[in-house]
Amino acid sequence: MEKNGLLPSLDSSIKEIRRISGGSSDVLINRFVSGGIHCALLCCEGMVSASVITELIFEPVTGIPQQKDARGLYRYINEELLLSTDRPEVNDYDTLFRLINSGFAVLIAEGMTGGLAFGVQGYASRGVQEPSGEGNIMGAHEGFTETIRINMSQIRRRLKSPELVMELLVKGSKSHTDLCLCYMKDRVPKELMERIRRSLDGLGTEAVLSTGYIRPFLEGERFEIFDTAGTTERPDVLCSKLIEGRVAVLVDGVPYAVVVPRLFCESFQTLDDYAYKPYYAVFIRWLKYAAFLTAIMLPSLYAAIVMYHPELLNSTLFMLLVEAEKKAPLSIVTESLFALIMYEMIREAGVRLPKPTGGAVSIISGLIIGDAAVNSGLISTPLLTVTALSVLCGLVVPELEPQMTVLRLAFLIAGGALGIFGVSLLACAVLVNICSAEDYGFPYTAPFSPFRSRGMGDTLVRRGIKKLQHRGFTVEEYHE
Amino acid sequence: MNSISKGQFCALLLISDMFTLFSLRGAVSLGNVSGISAGIALQFLVMLVFVCKGGELKRWAKAFYLVYSVFCGGVVFAEFLRTCDIISISHEEGNGLWGRLITAVLTAVVCLYCARAGLRAAARGAVIVGAAGALFIAADLLSALAGGETANITVPHSRGAFFEVIRGFAASGSLGSFAVFSYMVKDRASSAAWYFGTRAVLSAAVLFTALAETGRISGITEYPVITAVQLSQPFEAQRIDSVFLLLFSVAAVFSAALQVITGAHLMSGLFPQTGRFGYTSVLLMMLAAAFIFYGNDLAVVRACAAAAALLFAPVGAKISAVSDSG
Repeated sequence: MEKNGLLPSLDSSIKEIRRISGGSSDVLINRFVSGGIHCALLCCEGMVSASVITELIFEPVTGIPQQKDARGLYRYINEELLLSTDRPEVNDYDTLFRLINSGFAVLIAEGMTGGLAFGVQGYASRGVQEPSGEGNIMGAHEGFTETIRINMSQIRRRLKSPELVMELLVKGSKSHTDLCLCYMKDRVPKELMERIRRSLDGLGTEAVLSTGYIRPFLEGERFEIFDTAGTTERPDVLCSKLIEGRVAVLVDGVPYAVVVPRLFCESFQTLDDYAYKPYYAVFIRWLKYAAFLTAIMLPSLYAAIVMYHPELLNSTLFMLLVEAEKKAPLSIVTESLFALIMYEMIREAGVRLPKPTGGAVSIISGLIIGDAAVNSGLISTPLLTVTALSVLCGLVVPELEPQMTVLRLAFLIAGGALGIFGVSLLACAVLVNICSAEDYGFPYTAPFSPFRSRGMGDTLVRRGIKKLQHRGFTVEEYHE
Repeated sequence: MNSISKGQFCALLLISDMFTLFSLRGAVSLGNVSGISAGIALQFLVMLVFVCKGGELKRWAKAFYLVYSVFCGGVVFAEFLRTCDIISISHEEGNGLWGRLITAVLTAVVCLYCARAGLRAAARGAVIVGAAGALFIAADLLSALAGGETANITVPHSRGAFFEVIRGFAASGSLGSFAVFSYMVKDRASSAAWYFGTRAVLSAAVLFTALAETGRISGITEYPVITAVQLSQPFEAQRIDSVFLLLFSVAAVFSAALQVITGAHLMSGLFPQTGRFGYTSVLLMMLAAAFIFYGNDLAVVRACAAAAALLFAPVGAKISAVSDSG
């Protein structure tokens, strides 16, 4: 694309624009005369608001008095008229197309090698709604939307401090997606900002269509089971992270923000924790840690104990399990794998299917797994109970669900093949993997290991807000 | 490699020592407790001299500690394989030679993964394992206090103090790692005090538990600490052996991984061309050593090796311009 300014001849310039756009029908070119100069206003159909463009641009521009030349026209518009608050300059066709495709109207004039752009966005977008994945009882019920500007305004509304900086970047050689780097300049470590900028510089994909396109560039190179870059769809949660000195990246078209650095303990914290009394918040937090371990380990420990270490069961439980398992035709590991994989398939079907069909899937799966499989003797009732309990516990910490799903199966195979010894070996490998996760010098397992006693007040327990408010915590405390 | 914190360093070394203590063989008595305590005290004094000299090793000392880490790693694997039956490591392949081979290979693979993740990752993991282990030891100690008998706590009849000190010396698997990595810890003298102090307390706690539970029968049990755990059940209706099996296996992996990390670190210093194969070659040497040691009582050899490791630390230390102060 032409990088050396626009063509001075209006006709040639319009021809060039049509050539570059391939005659695309949504590129609108309106020719008119203003102040005696031939001009054209370019915009993209559906991206601009018709009423705004008429009121704020056409009406004032067509009323401009006679000008000596196009330069005088531009000077008049810039100095005498306030057509829009967002007015970037256009000096090449690359910028011109990026702006009109972002909802700007661009004015070009005969004899000029530049254009004037006006922000008159008016495309259809989803309104602010309650987030679907991060439930909250006592806090705000607003979530991010697909429009980056609305998301930026939602953050700004909650953090009115001038220390909050929002830097706009454009990434994706074809998509030209707007990204917004958000941080509190007085809180964020300078080194972290530099390293994140360097990471984003390496982003050379053709399109940025979801947070998944930028996360690999923000995370470390080595294999990590858990994500060291988190996401949130709640502006209030994001604001709390920014205040703690983290950096967020908003992506246009995605109702999620990526937050760096992310710690393991954050998966167990919700904004509701701070709305409850500390004793209840501590209880809920411990419940989540227990649920996380149960979700991963329960099926494997069941298989390991029943198959290899029955001496660990008391006699009543032992007899009960023997009675149930002797009727089942498959081995315990096969049964467990069958139940877990069936659950995963049903879940995946429920997520992807249209909503009316999804209900039918729930009924069929309930009947098949809950009733028919047990009655036919394919799966024993205790095993089904263990599987259901494990899956249910996994839903307590939804952020870690992908990891829990895979680890649950891996632990089950290890426990089924090698008993508790297998579970121990895999636990070692997983523990070391978690402990080795570290991006930008922030260990994923902080503040548990490396141990930071100051961090325990809001991780292992949840101290009262009065005590927490004086903490002045920033994530830099965990830097190693 | 960057520095690690005092707590992480101590946790990693202590897990290794706990594994050695768990697989302690022979009768337990008050003499044994005092022997181990005396051994730890002596080790502390010598290592204090070492850390005060700067904590960095000369080339010949590095070569010695490489051999020592291979020896210790081999001992860890040999002891682990020997205790397989006692702590009920069982799987589909049964418990014969084939079963043990599978156990060794799987442990080695996980150990290699842990080692390759690096000292910092292993040290961070050790803090979490250490916290869980401390809870277990506390539960075991309390149950031993409730169920144990004071009459079990005996003094030895036939063995002298010197023998017990020798045993105490042998019950240490991480002297080499301490000597090699102590320079990475910011507060070296204090971390030495922490490490040896905590090790003395933990050793005494574990041995008293074993003594209270198995004092009279410790002479006929091969592994008194493991037997004590199996006997001391804090809950009437529920056995907790599985927790010990978990802890024992994890301690074995971390213990072996520490030796692999130490060996690979020294190897990369002595032979830089080994590169990333250092971990694998050290591990293979350890496995080979384990098969040689398997079935032999190495208490005296281990004590001599530990004594040599202790002696070579201050002798083989480079004189640093800035001695340790923290």
